[in-house]
Amino acid sequence: MVTDSDLTKHLSEAQVSVELQTEDMTLNIGPQHPSTHGVLRLVARVNGERCFDVRPVIGYMHRGYEKLSEVRTYLQITALINRIDWVSGYANEIPFIVAAEKLMDVEVPERAQYIRLILTEMARVSSHLIFMASYPLELGAATPLFFALRDRERVLDLLEGVTGGRFHPNFNRIGGVKPNAGAGPTTKKTPQDLPAGFLAETRDAMSVVLHTCEEIEDLVGGNEIFRARTKGLGVLPPEVGAAFGVSGPNLRASGVKFDLRKVESYLPYDKFDFDVVVGENGDCWDRWWVRLQEIRESAKIIQQAVDGIPPSGPLQAKVPKLIKVPKGETYVRAENPKGEMGYYMVSDGGTGPYRLKIRSASFSNISMLSWILEGVLVPDIIAIMGSLDFVLGDVDR
Amino acid sequence: MTTNAHRTIPGSGLIKGLRVTITTMFKTIFIPKKYLATVNYPIVKETPVARARGVIALDQDACTVCMVCSRACPDWCIYIEGHKEEQPPSKPGGRIRARAELDRFDIDYALCMYCGICVEVCPFDALFWTPEYEYSESKMGNMLHDMDRLQDWMTTVPEPPALEK
Repeated sequence: MVTDSDLTKHLSEAQVSVELQTEDMTLNIGPQHPSTHGVLRLVARVNGERCFDVRPVIGYMHRGYEKLSEVRTYLQITALINRIDWVSGYANEIPFIVAAEKLMDVEVPERAQYIRLILTEMARVSSHLIFMASYPLELGAATPLFFALRDRERVLDLLEGVTGGRFHPNFNRIGGVKPNAGAGPTTKKTPQDLPAGFLAETRDAMSVVLHTCEEIEDLVGGNEIFRARTKGLGVLPPEVGAAFGVSGPNLRASGVKFDLRKVESYLPYDKFDFDVVVGENGDCWDRWWVRLQEIRESAKIIQQAVDGIPPSGPLQAKVPKLIKVPKGETYVRAENPKGEMGYYMVSDGGTGPYRLKIRSASFSNISMLSWILEGVLVPDIIAIMGSLDFVLGDVDR
Repeated sequence: MTTNAHRTIPGSGLIKGLRVTITTMFKTIFIPKKYLATVNYPIVKETPVARARGVIALDQDACTVCMVCSRACPDWCIYIEGHKEEQPPSKPGGRIRARAELDRFDIDYALCMYCGICVEVCPFDALFWTPEYEYSESKMGNMLHDMDRLQDWMTTVPEPPALEK
């Protein structure tokens, strides 16, 4: 039997325990953790379920691309920079090649530009489909993974059919596209054109991708658990995002209508009709939603480009056999699936750049991790980190 | 009383979910083989595309030991050694000609990053890509293919694919 005095004693003890100052604990997340998309380590101070002072520790995958580029030729660097953001290897090549072409003052033939554009958008579709697969998986839903990966496979097969590589295409050359091998010792090497049936297959694949977008929107977007875990979580105000240098879909989800495809002219995007999708609140849900819409916009661009590609024509501009880029410096940026990717290239007239500064999107995007993870619950760390869609190869370089 | 309109009959959500599962199950039976997402790998094999970068084949007769591929390789995984061999003159009274002979042409596939630069820069068309991919080894050292093994890959070099229009 509980007497009154017992109850009072018990309550007073409970009161004490509520007022007790609990000790902060340092929680180490990663570097080997599936939700970190590579090897990212987070050191968080945790008080109960809230975490404060989250510090990302990067550099576990530093491969020194900027230094390596100083001792490599332009041809070799193209193969290297596929590996920066390996989910969209093709899109990494474009700003680098365009920067070299800008310094050399080379005009790229129209058909080659269209091929570049189609394949870049395919890289975007496949990168965003990976996000559509992995993000629900991190929140506990396994089915969307198979839906998204199935169609990503079709897109990657098309990429492989043209370039020969699924992840590391290494397809762009200064002035055009990769030449064929084995044309005969005396014959001039011809550039690799699209294989037969590519355009029809692409049309087919894009309609499948659009269909899958609807499926994913129903399956994931209609899921109450997914909505509850993403809506209103990890809100990034546009001015904070801009101050941290956040770019790409993460910034657009906060409502900033900024897309380098509309601003810069590194590929003929001005010939196509597409919308820049922006979110409203800048929370995890908006970041997911913006990426889903971007798949649709990219599919729209690809369909227009497949219809509008010049039926034939040169694929390679005239460039010397030994490529030496004239003295000068330039900065070319492009809208990669992850955000703004830019190369600041300084050439001293040699066969390789004197200095190559790589501005990768994920590095700037995760610089605001400690800001956005301030005071969130421990399980929400995964939900917020996943929604930022970074790749550690892109962060560490 | 419930506020959620779709929770009127208990278990209706379960039946709805099962209906989707069963329809998808029957749908997959009638999907054309071409659109199947997976294949039963060791029994069924996918045909890689003609341009797929699987393994590099070497045409020993075409190689002139110029070392261009070895120098262009970004990770230096091609090892070449050669010597000059004197050839009889093509017509009587002519010069004695020297011809370079390969002693060693090894590609270390444990190092290779499959960029294809060697194939691209070869000025005598001695290197080719083939889409073969089944050459994994249990020992790392066996990934070093010597020139005879590279020559054997020559039989698998595909015709270049037909082009769009």
